[in-house]
Amino acid sequence: MAERGIEGLAASRLWAATRFPYLASGVFGAQVIAEPDSGTVRVDEGWRMRADPELTAGWTAAQLGSVLIHHVCHLLRTHAERAQAAGVGPDEARTWIRAADAEINDDLVPAGLELPGRPVLPHHLGAPDGLLTEQYFDGIRARGERGGRGGDTTDRSAQSGAGEAAGSWLDCGSGADGVPRPGDGTGGLPGWQAELLRRQVAQDVLAHAKQAGTVPAGLLRWAEEFLHPKVDWRRLLAAELRRAVAQVAGAVDYSYRRPSRRAAVAGDVVLPALRRPVPEVAVVCDTSGSMTEDLLAMVLAEVEGLLRALGLARQVRVLACDTAVAPAQRVTSARQVQLVGGGGTNMGTGIAAAAALRPRPAVTVVLTDGYTPWPAAAPKGTRVVVGLLGADAPDAPPWARAVRVVPD
Amino acid sequence: MSVQSRSGNPAVEALGVAVAARVPVLLWGAPGTGKTSAIRAMAQTMGLPCETVIASIREPSDFAGLPIVVGGEVRFAPPAWARRLAEAGHGLLFLDELSTAPPAVQAALLRVVLERAVGDLMLPDEVAVVAAANPPEQAADGWDLSAPLANRLCHLDWQTDPRSVANGLAGGWAAPVVPALPAGWQAEEILARGLVAAFLQVRPALACAPPSDAASAGRGWPSPRTWEMAARLMAAAGASGAGDEARSALVRGAVGDGAGVEFLAWLVEMDLPDPEQVLADPASFRLPARGDRAYAALAAVAAAVAANPTPERWTAGWQVLGRAAGTAPDVAAVAARVLARCRPDGAALPAEIHLFAPVLRDAGLLQA
Repeated sequence: MAERGIEGLAASRLWAATRFPYLASGVFGAQVIAEPDSGTVRVDEGWRMRADPELTAGWTAAQLGSVLIHHVCHLLRTHAERAQAAGVGPDEARTWIRAADAEINDDLVPAGLELPGRPVLPHHLGAPDGLLTEQYFDGIRARGERGGRGGDTTDRSAQSGAGEAAGSWLDCGSGADGVPRPGDGTGGLPGWQAELLRRQVAQDVLAHAKQAGTVPAGLLRWAEEFLHPKVDWRRLLAAELRRAVAQVAGAVDYSYRRPSRRAAVAGDVVLPALRRPVPEVAVVCDTSGSMTEDLLAMVLAEVEGLLRALGLARQVRVLACDTAVAPAQRVTSARQVQLVGGGGTNMGTGIAAAAALRPRPAVTVVLTDGYTPWPAAAPKGTRVVVGLLGADAPDAPPWARAVRVVPD
Repeated sequence: MSVQSRSGNPAVEALGVAVAARVPVLLWGAPGTGKTSAIRAMAQTMGLPCETVIASIREPSDFAGLPIVVGGEVRFAPPAWARRLAEAGHGLLFLDELSTAPPAVQAALLRVVLERAVGDLMLPDEVAVVAAANPPEQAADGWDLSAPLANRLCHLDWQTDPRSVANGLAGGWAAPVVPALPAGWQAEEILARGLVAAFLQVRPALACAPPSDAASAGRGWPSPRTWEMAARLMAAAGASGAGDEARSALVRGAVGDGAGVEFLAWLVEMDLPDPEQVLADPASFRLPARGDRAYAALAAVAAAVAANPTPERWTAGWQVLGRAAGTAPDVAAVAARVLARCRPDGAALPAEIHLFAPVLRDAGLLQA
């Protein structure tokens, strides 16, 4: 804590830690360094803030404290990393920072942040509250492109930014846009420690919300997502499918039907050869009235893509099922699937119909909203992977591997 | 993350440490990102014989040994690459394309990876096992690693950072270096095991937590074996002077992200002074240098007093804050507000309280 030469820093941090107690770890975890003549307060990815003492001398403790909180939020929400992922170059950095500012300010300014100047709020960008930086950024870009030819978009938005806030626009630094600034240097908080600090703050936020319940909703959402990241259903579904196919293919992988190509060296021992059976796959689609067709089509396309990647595209048969089962269709594309049906549901008949197909499918994928009776025991001779469509679908039976598909 | 992008790829340093500690290691990365060339370059610069075995085009008998009848009994003959490594006495066994190996081959690899047994041949202890794999979602014909095989490896993510690619293209790729571990580094392993043991006392659920879903089964997960691996890697990282980033990658790679991060967070917390000890002897209190750590230490002291506010403890708490007020008046003032609210009956107003008046007034928190 070698912060000398910034007047009122202690008071501003105390203000910040008192007003936003759940962010106190972050506020105290950031190092503040005086950097004369920079004309701004900027932050780098190593949790170091560089402040122009002349600028901050004109601010109240609440204003400097608010800027500290604002910058900590840039770091918590990893705006620099996200800017790199979004491919933001130096020419678009300013636009990105405005979008990032909007993401932070939309709920913190109502919660009592007293930023100096005129802070960027979503309605300045013509966007609603509660979006992500990437969404605000795309919005600014799209508006810029509509307004003129592609080339000068960034200039335009930067100018309009300067015009709107008339000289009060401050550069938030490389910690907000990932573009290195001169004087950033190396060092600072190492990445893994920054990650632990973020985790600490997220835990503080959740704990505070449980006790007192006065945490801005956006920050709470960030903390929840940070501590319990949502796993993409596509990844889970892919892994479950691969596993089902691998278990079937791996279950009978030695065969004496053909001699091993290594038999020559083994003398009188007959060696089995490695056989990889190509499993048949059946997809049972719930077509009852409670299903949404768009979601079903999306998941079906995903399943088909996965099976094609596994080299099983030609082995797929699709059954549409409500209380009765439509005949199996051999399809080569999800678009060919005809969803006949409607009315009530019984997936038991669908699974039984799939098991009765010849050749018998080794893997059965069931896509349903879960509002259906299930067979009491697993069907014999086929592995069942269930895709549960919709956020509030009831649980699948324990004998099946289930993946929840929640549209994003 | 900040430092990764500045110093390049933390997996490079971690890879060197894992090889030095002879812990089987697996690099995950998209095809074409230089995993194979980095491992070959490492073997070359270290002068280690390197045997590359592409797991996906092998049969189980290549790893479990080919059965041959010799004098009425079946022997499992090892392939030539294993023979060469055994004769050299040291070297690198590089298993490429691990995730495209069919399940039966993965099963045959279990003993090779951990015990270095190929058929009837035992590879010498000095042989390091390194593997590379493409994430299943990037390799079309990929399989998820089976949970038992995943549990035998330290998983490192091979990241490609555009800046380090630019540097590599312009100035050549730096080969990972295997650090020389000082003699007797294993002594540190006992210490590291002690830390792991103490952590598992606090979080027994993490001693063994097999993954429940198929997607996370192919990565590191906590089990007694991986915790032992993590302790060994931590000791090796400490002995070789590796950076914190590499150490963190190694621990998380061995026991998985969730358990690894909790363990690392616990280690950081362990460095904080015990509030009861501080209250018993306020003069011994040393304020941690980093602001958030200082905050955590002082908040813990204030919370300990608030939980059991006797006049002696309350006064001792103020003495601690008084010692901190010089270097970090703001941090101490946050804790002071907690203390001020839990004044026990009969406690005299401490002198330290006046230290905080100016900063509280500046922050607009003091009614005049």
